Order: sequence, then C-alpha cells, then structure tokens
Amino acid sequence: MLTYVLKRIGQTVLTAFLATATVFVLLRMAPGDPAANYAPPNPTSEQLAAIREEFGLDQSIPVQFVTFLQHLFQGDVGTSFFFKRPALEVVMERLPYTITLAVAAIVVTAAVAIPLGVWMARRADTAKDLGANIATIAGQSMPDFWIGFVLLILFAVQLGWFEPAGFTSASSIVLPTVTIAILQIALISRLVRREMVVNLASPYLTVARSRGISERALTWRYAFGNSAIPVVTALGTRFAAMLNGVVIVEVVFKWPGVGELVVNALKQRDFPLIQATVLVTVVLALVVQLLVDLLYPLMDPRVRLGEASS
Amino acid sequence: MSVLEVKDLQVELMTGTKVVRAVDGVSFHIDAGETVTIIGESGSGKSTTAMAILRLLPDDLAVISGEARIGGQNVTGDRKVIDKLRGRAVALIPQDPMTALNPIRTIGRQMTEAVRVKYPDLGKAEAKARALSLMEQVHIRDPKKQFDAYPHQLSGGMLQRVLIAMAVSADADLIVADEPTSALDVTVQAGILDLLLELQEQTGIALLLITHDLGVARLMSDRIHVMKSGVFVEGGAVTDVVDHPQHPYTQKLLGAIPELGPWEDPALAVPELAKEASHG
Repeated sequence: MLTYVLKRIGQTVLTAFLATATVFVLLRMAPGDPAANYAPPNPTSEQLAAIREEFGLDQSIPVQFVTFLQHLFQGDVGTSFFFKRPALEVVMERLPYTITLAVAAIVVTAAVAIPLGVWMARRADTAKDLGANIATIAGQSMPDFWIGFVLLILFAVQLGWFEPAGFTSASSIVLPTVTIAILQIALISRLVRREMVVNLASPYLTVARSRGISERALTWRYAFGNSAIPVVTALGTRFAAMLNGVVIVEVVFKWPGVGELVVNALKQRDFPLIQATVLVTVVLALVVQLLVDLLYPLMDPRVRLGEASS
Repeated sequence: MSVLEVKDLQVELMTGTKVVRAVDGVSFHIDAGETVTIIGESGSGKSTTAMAILRLLPDDLAVISGEARIGGQNVTGDRKVIDKLRGRAVALIPQDPMTALNPIRTIGRQMTEAVRVKYPDLGKAEAKARALSLMEQVHIRDPKKQFDAYPHQLSGGMLQRVLIAMAVSADADLIVADEPTSALDVTVQAGILDLLLELQEQTGIALLLITHDLGVARLMSDRIHVMKSGVFVEGGAVTDVVDHPQHPYTQKLLGAIPELGPWEDPALAVPELAKEASHG
C-alpha cells in the first residue's frame, strides 16, 4: 500500500515535470516575441533587447531550461512578466476560485446525475427513460460557451436574477456552476444508467430479491454499490479536468479562476505564469486521481492496489 | 392444505418479436416435509416454472397465468402478495452460488440482512448470533472467520452453504432449490444434498427441487414430475417413475444414464475405426 502510494507520487512528479518541460519548450518555439508586449509603444531594438535580457529570453532555449530547472529545484517557478511577482503566488491567488467552482460543479453533477441515472435505469426501455435519454443527449450536445451565453442572457440580463460577470457575491457562482454541470450531468447520468442496468439484472440481485430484500436496498445497496467504481472514477476524472481550469466558462463569466488567468497569460506571452499554471494544475489533477484510486479498495474488496487487476 | 399448490400454470416469455410458451399448463402440489422434483432437459421450462412461482421473472418479459398458491395465497396476480412471502414463507437456493451474493459486502452483513427480513426487530448482536448459529447449522467451518469474509474468498461449496443458511434463516415453509448442485464439483454436490436432506429432517420444510440429474432426483424426491417442452409428461412417486417409466421421454432419459459394465470399444472390433481414430 505504502509502496503503491510512493510509486504513484513518483509518477506524479515525473508527469508534472514532463508536462511543464513540454510547455516550456513549446512556448519558446511558438512565434511571437514576449518582449513586444512589455515594451513601451514603438520600442527601439535596444529597449526590446533590454527586456529580453531582463526576462532571460536572450539565452538559448537549453540554457533557459537549465536555469529554469535550477530555480525550480529551489522552489522558484519564476516571476510573472506581467505581474512582476512570483508566478506561483499569482496562480495560488486564483486557485481557490477555480477549486470552488469545480467543487460546486461536481457536487451539483453528482447530486443530480446519480439519482437521474438510477431513475432512468429502473425505467430502462420505457417512454420516460427514452425522454430522459433524449434530454441528456441534448445536454451533451450543447457547447458550454453557448449554454453559458444563453444562461447569461436569460437569467442575468433579462431577468436580472444574477450578476452577469465576475465574482461579486455568493450568487455569482450559480450560473457558471449550472453551465458546467449541464454537460457533466448529461455524461455522468448516462454512465450511471448503463452501469445500473447491468447490475440491476445481475444474478445476485435476483437472489437477494428472493430473500425478500426491499427494492430500495436492492437498488442502492446492491446495484449502486456495485456501480460505484466507474461512477466515482468518472466524477474524479471530471473534477480533475475542471481543476485544470474550466477555461471557456471562466472566460464567459469573467470568473477570476485559473482558466481565465491562463488565457490572459497566453495573450500576453507571460511564459513563467503559464508554466506555473500548468505545473500546479497538473499536480492537482494527478493528486485527485490518486485519491480516487485509493478509494477503490473501499468500494470493492476484490481490488488490491498495486497488483494487476484480474 | 398444501404448502404449494400449482394449478394450470402458464408462462409466456417475450423473446424479441416472438412469444414462447415456456410453461404450458402445469399442475402439482407439495405438502409439508415433502420433496417434489421437476426434472427435465435444458429449455424444458423447469427453471421457468420455479422462477414464475417466486415471481422473479421481469414483468415485461414474462406473462404468468394460472394459479400458484403458497400457504394458500395466490402469487400469480398482484406482486404485493409474493413481496410479503419472499424471505418469510418461501426461500430460494440458487443455481450458481458463485454469482449469487453481493460481491462487495461481507458474508456476515448479507446473512444478518437476510435474518432481519423475517425478524426485523432483532438487534445487531442478536442477528449476528442467529447468523452464526445458522452458519454452524449448515456446517460451515469456523463461522466467525467466514462471517467477515467476502464472497470471493469462499469456495463454491461454502458459498452454497451460506445461501442455504440464508434460505433456512427465513424459517420458510417452502424452499425452492433451482439446480442447487449443478454448478458445483461432484465431490461437493454430495455434501450439499446431504445437508438439504438433514435440514429437511430437522425442520420439516417442503422442498421444490429443480434438476436435470436423475441421480439427484432419485436420492432427494418423494415425487417426480418429468417436464418436456413446457408440460409434465409423467409424474408420480419416485420409485414408480424411475422403475416403471410410462412415457417414451422418461424412458429415453433413464436410458441416457451411462451404466458401469464391461467396456466394449467398437474400435477394438473394427480395426478400420481404430485407424481412423488415431489419425483424427
């Protein structure tokens, strides 16, 4: 168990390093000169060269990378070109907003998708199931930016129930959460339905029914208990993906999270800030995945971590 | 009054576009302490009969008509009737013990859950004590240890004993045993059959046994019904049916039992066949 966790942490470090290194190189290979964004209007070539030197961009990419690694091992991810502050600090300021949004979205998703999927499975192949099926396919097919704009126009602009943008009060979280959750609910409820249909038809369920176990217990304790692993895995994966910044939704709602930050950083070619964002979000996502995997043996006693699954 | 009284039971199964009459008007009864066996080949409708009596067939796949009275109550109509009887007046011993228990919960939790269906007022400790004594009754070695085990940690024979204990926990009047030994090794089968006989002697429970195995039927039954294509072709006391089969199908079934005797390999008499066999 401990060996397994240590191995996974090692993998996490390696993955985070590779992801950051890839981003580091790709950013510098991309066309465009960051210095132009931070120089005064109509800069002279001397002014641009001075900025490049200040940012360390005058060096060759391998040299820059070695310098970056030296700093990284000292816990320094670099200084944001734009904010003139440690990039990690800037990311950490925005992270709580993204985490809050991701937690809200995943909680709403689980709270709606699980009962909906179970409801659909118990009515599998009836008209109600078909109706719910069509609704979820529709939910799955609508792009999130479009849902976001529709919700904005309807509830913020026309009805005036919510602030249209930014983070001004607790209710600001409602529209972005709903926007993210609609797609996730559509995906997760269909997964729950699929798993439940299989487990509701399994032999142990029929035998338990013959023992007089109530339908409610059969549905939740038996069928859902056995559907939990794929469902929790999917929720965990979705949650991890949200931590990487729900970019489009954050931009549409001007939500001050990591996604919005990274879009601006890209526009401004703020290399250290982009690298810091990638590093933090990759580590977070991998930690969430690890936590989900550690839950497996609790959900199914047949799972032994670190062994090949049978 | 019979423990089970079946009159003109019919089951129609919907298979895609076709409707198959899997059970076509069977009638029989079982009295207390009696074992009645339905024997037949795969697809004869014997298991469907048992599942229909327990109402374990999905409504959208099976249409049941006729009567099946358990303790006088007809279960072929409203599902509420059987809901009240399952785990209380009637219990099932399933065909394949390996897939018959919830894989993610311990034997103990499933045992106590079963115990509490009939006796919901039992406290946790009392339910556990009863579960352990039931496990002892079905000769599970070291019940305390097995109580905390998960189904995948037990052998098929042990799991079948657990399932029998659960069926017994209901203090039911009728146990339906649907091919209770056919998924088990031959050596384990005998032990399970012994256990069923022993429990029946102790409790006087009525047993509806479904099997394709004449040996099992002969050992266990008071009466036998031979089923083929949804109907009973022959029935009666076990000795009558086995020793004096009237129906050609029963005669064929009995004729299909291999007998030990001098072995006459046709290949030995016809050398060409032996040659062919060695090339094949």
